[in-house]
Amino acid sequence: MNKVIISVLGQDRPGIIAAVSKTLFEHQCNIEDVSQTILQTEFAGVFIASVPNHETEDSLLDGLCRALTPLGLSVLLRRMDDAPAWTAPDTEPFVITTIGPDRLGLVAGITGLLAGFGVNITNLKAVFRGGSDPMQNTMIYEVDIPVEIDQSRFRAALQERARDLGLDISLQHRNVFEAIHRV
Amino acid sequence: MLSDREVISTLEMLKNEHLDVRTITLGISLFDCVAQDPRIFRENVRKKIIRLAGSLVKICDEVGLRYGIPVVNKRVAVSPIAVAACSHSSLDMIEIARTLDETAAEIGIDFIGGFSALVEKGFTTGDRALLDAVPEALSATGRVCASVNVASTHAGINMDAVYLMGKIIRKAAELSRDSDGIACAKLCVFANIPQDVPFMAGAYLGVGEPDAVINVGVSGPGVVKKAIDRARLSSPSLDLGALSEIIKRTAFKVTRVGELIGREVAGKLGVPFGVVDLSLAPTPNVGDSVGEIFQSLGLSSIGVPGTTAALALLNDAVKKGGAFASSYVGGLSGAFIPVSEDLNIAEAAGRGFLTIEKLEAMTSVCSVGLDMVALPGDTSAETIAGIIADEMAIGVINKKTTAARLIPVPGKVAGEKASFGGLLGGATIIHVPGGDGSKGFISLGGRIPAPVHSLMN
Repeated sequence: MNKVIISVLGQDRPGIIAAVSKTLFEHQCNIEDVSQTILQTEFAGVFIASVPNHETEDSLLDGLCRALTPLGLSVLLRRMDDAPAWTAPDTEPFVITTIGPDRLGLVAGITGLLAGFGVNITNLKAVFRGGSDPMQNTMIYEVDIPVEIDQSRFRAALQERARDLGLDISLQHRNVFEAIHRV
Repeated sequence: MLSDREVISTLEMLKNEHLDVRTITLGISLFDCVAQDPRIFRENVRKKIIRLAGSLVKICDEVGLRYGIPVVNKRVAVSPIAVAACSHSSLDMIEIARTLDETAAEIGIDFIGGFSALVEKGFTTGDRALLDAVPEALSATGRVCASVNVASTHAGINMDAVYLMGKIIRKAAELSRDSDGIACAKLCVFANIPQDVPFMAGAYLGVGEPDAVINVGVSGPGVVKKAIDRARLSSPSLDLGALSEIIKRTAFKVTRVGELIGREVAGKLGVPFGVVDLSLAPTPNVGDSVGEIFQSLGLSSIGVPGTTAALALLNDAVKKGGAFASSYVGGLSGAFIPVSEDLNIAEAAGRGFLTIEKLEAMTSVCSVGLDMVALPGDTSAETIAGIIADEMAIGVINKKTTAARLIPVPGKVAGEKASFGGLLGGATIIHVPGGDGSKGFISLGGRIPAPVHSLMN
C-alpha cells in the first residue's frame, strides 16, 4: 500500500467531494483524511488516501482528471514520503490575533518572523474585508511555539513587528480560549 | 481548531469589557510564627511572608501575560492576628501591623489582610488587644486591612463587640481625618465571615485553612453588562429569564478564566489552589460598574424600585454560572455594591436614588453589605453600631455573610463629597436618619441569641 496526497482546487459548486470520492472508490483507494475549505467562491480540498499495490499513481491521476476537469477543477497528486521532512520539537500551543488596517505584506510580515523563531503555524484564518471596522481585518494564527526559544524575546519581537505593520496584536496561550468557550 | 467567534469574542471581552482576574490572594498561615517575644514573632512573620509570597507578583504577571489576561490585584491574607499573636499587648499589635505593612511593600502588593479578630461569641485577651490597636494600626499603615467577625448564625450577635466597633470606627476616622477617614475603608465588620475571602478589606486566612493557599476573585461587572447590552441589542424582546441565562453564561466564562489562571499561579508557587470567589467587584472606572448593570436591565438608576429584585436576579445568575464553571467556589460569591468604589453607585447615592435604607435592603439579597458608605462625620458611635447591628441581623437570620464598611468622614456633613483615592474611589456622604436614637438599645449590650433554625419564614 502506498499513500498519496491529492489536492483539488477550483470554483466551488455541489458535487466536488462526491466526484473525487467516487473516483477514489473506483480505483479501490481508501480515504484516510480529508479537509476542505471555501474561500470566497473558491473550493480547496486535500485528501490523503492509501492506494492498492496494483494501482499506479498515473492511472489514478488520469481518472481524477477525467472526472474533475469537466467541472473546472485542477488536481495535484503526490506520493507521500515515509519519513517526515521535519521533526517537531516540544511546543506549547498559542493563538496570535491581529487587528488593523489592511495593507500589503501583513501575512508575510508576521509569518516571516514566526518562521525565524521556528514557530509552526497549525491553523490560519485571515480575513481582510477593508472598511473602517478594524474587526473586518483580522488574522488568527494557531501556532506551536517551541519550548526552548526565549519566550520574552519572541513576544517582544512579535510586538515590534506588529507595531511596524500598524497592527494590534495579542499572543495568548490556547488554553484560555478552551477554558472560556468549551465545557 | 478554534472558531473565529471563540477567538474574537474573547478579545472583545479583554479589550472593551475589562475581562481580567480581579485578585489573586495568597493565604498564609502565621500559626507556626508564634513566639513569646514580639520581635521574634514579627521577624518570623516577615520571613514567612517573604518566603512564600516573595515571587507572587512576578508569577501573577508572568501567568497573566501568557494568557493575555491581566491579574489586576495581587494580595496576601494571613491568619487572624488576634489568634496568632494572642499573647501580645495592644502596643505590640500596632508594631505587628507595621511589620505587615512593610513586608507588603517589600513584596510589591497594595493590601495585606488578616489584622482580624473573630469575636461573635466573646473576646479573648488577644481579641481585645487587637481591637484596641485597630484605629492606630490602620491609620499608621497604608496596606494593612482589618476584619472583625461580630456575629454568626450559630452564635448570634455580640452586641458588646458591635458597640465597640462603633467606637473603633469613629476613632479610626478621627485618626485619619486628613484623608477623609480612610483608615475606616480598610476595616470590615462581618457576620458569618468566610475563611477564604480573597477580596479586601475582608480577606484573612481562616483557622481551618492550609498553611498556604491561593484564592481567586474573578473578573468584574463590565463583562456582564456588555453581554446584557449585546443580547438586548440583537434580541430586544428578551425577558428577564433569558437575560438571567445570559448573565449565567458570562459568569461561567469569567470563572473559568479565574480558575485557569489561579491554578497555574498556585502550581508555580507550589501551594494548593483554594477557591474561586464569584463576586462581581467594581472599580471606580466607567464600564466596570455593578451599578451600570441595573441600567442595562432597564432601571433608570440603581436604587429606584425594582433594584432589589434586579440584584437578586444578578446575584443568583452569577452564582449559578460560576458554580458550574468551578468545583471549588467560596469566599463571598455575590455582587458587591461598594458605594465609593463604583462610579455609578456613587452617583446614584449623590443624586438621592440610593439611601442607606435602600442599600440595607439590597444587602439582604447580595454580598457583601453596607460597603464603603460615607457617613456624616458627627454620626455617633451608637448610631454606627446600630447600623452595624441591623446589617449583622440580616446576615445572621438569613444564614449569609453580611458586612459593614462605614466611614464617618470627619468634619463633613451629608451631601458633601469624600475622596479616598485609587480603587477606593469617592462618594457623596449619605444622610443617616433618626438622630441619635439608637443609644438606648445599643447600650444594653450582651449577645443577641442565635436564631431558631426551624419555623423559617
